[in-house]
Amino acid sequence: MGVSVPLTRRIPGRLLLAIPPVVFLALFFVWPVVAILERGLRPAGHWELQPILGVMQDPAILRVLWFTIWESVLSTVLCVLVGLPGAALFARFRFRGRRLLWALLLVPFVLPTVVAGLAFLMLIGPSGVTGVDLAGSIWAILIAHVFFNYAVVVRTVGSAWASLGDDEVDAARTLGASPMRALLTVTLPRLRSALLAAASIVFLFSFTSFGIVMILGGVRQRTLEVEIYDQTARFLHLDTAAALAILQLVGVVAVLFLFGRARSRGSSQGAGGTSGGNARKARTPGERVFVVVNVGFMALFLGGPIAVLVLRSLWTSKGWGMGAYAALGSSRRGSTSFVAPLDAVGNSVRFALATMVISVLLGCCAAWALGRRGHGGRGGAASSHRRRAGRVLDSLTEGFLMIPLGTSAVTVGFGCLIALADPPLELRSSTWMLPIAHSVIALPFVVRLLVPAVRSIDPELREVASLLGASRTRVWTTVDLPLLRRQIAVAAGFAFAVSLGEFGATSFLVRAHDVTVPIAIYRALGRPGGDNLSQAMALAVILMVVIAAVVVVIDRLRPQTSAEF
Amino acid sequence: MSTIRTSCPIRQQADSAAAPATGPTQRPRRRRSASILGTMMVAALLAAGCSGGSSGGSASGTDGRTNPTPSIAPVLADGALPRFPEGTVVRLVAHDSFAVSSDVLDEFTALTGATVEYLPSGDAGTMVNAAILTKDDPQGDVLFGIDENLLARAFDEGLFQSYTAAGLDTVPMSYRVDDQHRVTPIDHGDVCVNFDRSWFADRGLAVPGDLRSLTDPQYRSTLAVEDPSSSTPGLSFLLATIATFGGGEDTGANPAWLQYWRDLKANDVSVVDSWETAYYSSFSGSSGEGDRPLVVSYASSPPAEVVDTTVPADASPTGVIAPTCYRQIEFAGVLSGAKEPRAAAALIEFMLMKHFQQDMPEQMYVYPVVEGATLPEAFSKYTTPVAEPLTLPFDVVAADRERWVAQWASVFR
Repeated sequence: MGVSVPLTRRIPGRLLLAIPPVVFLALFFVWPVVAILERGLRPAGHWELQPILGVMQDPAILRVLWFTIWESVLSTVLCVLVGLPGAALFARFRFRGRRLLWALLLVPFVLPTVVAGLAFLMLIGPSGVTGVDLAGSIWAILIAHVFFNYAVVVRTVGSAWASLGDDEVDAARTLGASPMRALLTVTLPRLRSALLAAASIVFLFSFTSFGIVMILGGVRQRTLEVEIYDQTARFLHLDTAAALAILQLVGVVAVLFLFGRARSRGSSQGAGGTSGGNARKARTPGERVFVVVNVGFMALFLGGPIAVLVLRSLWTSKGWGMGAYAALGSSRRGSTSFVAPLDAVGNSVRFALATMVISVLLGCCAAWALGRRGHGGRGGAASSHRRRAGRVLDSLTEGFLMIPLGTSAVTVGFGCLIALADPPLELRSSTWMLPIAHSVIALPFVVRLLVPAVRSIDPELREVASLLGASRTRVWTTVDLPLLRRQIAVAAGFAFAVSLGEFGATSFLVRAHDVTVPIAIYRALGRPGGDNLSQAMALAVILMVVIAAVVVVIDRLRPQTSAEF
Repeated sequence: MSTIRTSCPIRQQADSAAAPATGPTQRPRRRRSASILGTMMVAALLAAGCSGGSSGGSASGTDGRTNPTPSIAPVLADGALPRFPEGTVVRLVAHDSFAVSSDVLDEFTALTGATVEYLPSGDAGTMVNAAILTKDDPQGDVLFGIDENLLARAFDEGLFQSYTAAGLDTVPMSYRVDDQHRVTPIDHGDVCVNFDRSWFADRGLAVPGDLRSLTDPQYRSTLAVEDPSSSTPGLSFLLATIATFGGGEDTGANPAWLQYWRDLKANDVSVVDSWETAYYSSFSGSSGEGDRPLVVSYASSPPAEVVDTTVPADASPTGVIAPTCYRQIEFAGVLSGAKEPRAAAALIEFMLMKHFQQDMPEQMYVYPVVEGATLPEAFSKYTTPVAEPLTLPFDVVAADRERWVAQWASVFR
């Protein structure tokens, strides 16, 4: 096929597309992180490696490292296993309330960990209503990690699954394969990159888990993230903190490398993406049971802690009712610490929208730069080793774009304080600091979700379109964009949610009149008096309502023809 | 790991702390802890290598001697705040718990013409460390909310310039721990064991009277405390046990205070990560969620639990066990490199004035430090005044705190 001309013509374009996201991360992630590492490891003008060696030889640190690794691997495996049936449910079946449930999945994702942690303690703590005390055990941590990351697996894999055509499964079934066999040999291999994308995000979240490990893990369980926070924000041992941050970085890069290897080994990328919309009503009794059990599980597992929060927000010292919600607007009035709940919601939504726009635009650039290329095994002018070099460069870039998700919020936050202090980038006290910091965290999500989607578009579709005379822009708007709408919506939802729930970096980068809902929640919780707990819970409920409403809107922005969710 | 960079100016402080404090609210210490303190201070002085009264020179080279702390001239004229040009802005770096009535802050603007811009900066530890990190290019003019445990490092880094507030005359000596006036005491709080009144009444059990009785088997599984490595009140409670039982200078595995913690552990103490978790999840007395009737919180917590102020004091939901209380003082200081040092100093003077001082209890759950400031009714009625709080000198805490936390962790982790 005569693709040599478009291919070579495409290369400079691809490089140009990669520039905005790479520059963005270089300025707002790499530079601050290097600045803070340099403070720690080059205190007197020359580099010192002793802190790194010291950390590597400290048995306590190695124990923490080991715990961090197995805790996050276990969380990831568990989350994928628990999430897969949920993904299948949304990809295959139509049922009442499906769109709403799809949106509600993101609710746990925005909950500040302290609020979710308290809710879990009310359920599975020492005096929890279930009567089972898991506080301080690894189980509490794992359950909470699955609770938080369930949406990552279901929404990522579910939307990829929905875009697979039925034809190959039907063919396998016709040839006598059982449904399970068709699932294992046909469907799952085609979902490989979506699965790996979801798994790598869950892994990074669990690897850098902080609040959950602190609240539910008891005094004995500590992650590397907790150590880094202590060494940076509590003790200001920047040398040890830098060494730990490097250790964390090495761990993250190693795992991303393994994920990258796993993905490139499987080249059975689906040529689908064209069909979709093949979800249908459950027909057989088995299918009905599957739907009911799945929805029931989500209602209990995600709904349990959320119900606890909602109920707690409705209870005040004066009895049941909306008292806590009313008090939000009045109880601290006249104090500088008073934040009108509507203002906090407005600030949060404003920052989340900005984060969504920045990270989706940059993420699209990155995804097209990384994803749009000829498929392996296809002939062409480019020699095979040049293609291989290109692929190595791609996976390196993709890995680089993921790293912020595996980096401690306090490392980035403190780095921003020193690196972004002077003109022209005097951003640390600007209103843009928060959306930028949030975008650094959200961008990996967007990239991770969009790259596999861009890759899954059959290059022949584009080639046919350009052979028929379509301009590159036209190919983009008529071929790529319609096929990717679903994934872009999913990515945008996540970006919004990441910003809405972020607390770690926000707590010391926020400006007084820009206070967000999570900050207001922490402030309420920091004050004694039982009614403050109700108010914190009420704010958390408001946050949950906001994310559900926004995700419903985002999901509806897509045209109805392919609107599955 | 941590080098002890205690410099000589602090030695003078240590001396003054060792001598009985003078002033109306002088705090007599228990004899036992006083002698331990003496021992620890000697140890700290030896460690600092600070001999003689006048020879300076510390390794860091940033202390007041080799690089004199700049100081700001008095800003009050005849006891009145000065006026600043239109548009003057004082940037106030403060922790998340900072709060003041808006009309009180407006009064400062009315008096001086300067407006205050509040820069929230996370918790106190994060705030101070972020300030140290950015000290060459500070984000604000004044820092509020640094406590004693964080002072030594801040001084060592030259974070503050000196300002001797005129309002300090009304502050008892026991709060004035920095004789170079790099920081000015603004408020104090006490970290104390709080109890759930009805829990003990229902069981006909006496409320424990002191730290030692908490290890009594009849109080098994009743206490929730915060991890001293991650929580400020948790650290204060650890310091309370060291001040009470001694052994702070003991680097071994069995100092007296650590043995106390072993006894607590044997009595099933619950250790959680933060005040929020302890108070709202473990404690039965506040919102009634938890199963522990005793929790480490503040002396100012009980008034916040009273909804109906006609309730008699002995019927309020929670109370404080006074002999367990450890004092925390919060300070404010003018940051080195402040753009508006005089306006910053004026804000510190304002913070020592009655109006601000009397506003603090209900806004931040802390107590005034100036003499004659009156407390809101709920505070005078529902919490016990702490006459003899436990204390340790801040430079000793600075030198040993990480080791203590590590020793504590060796038992609990």
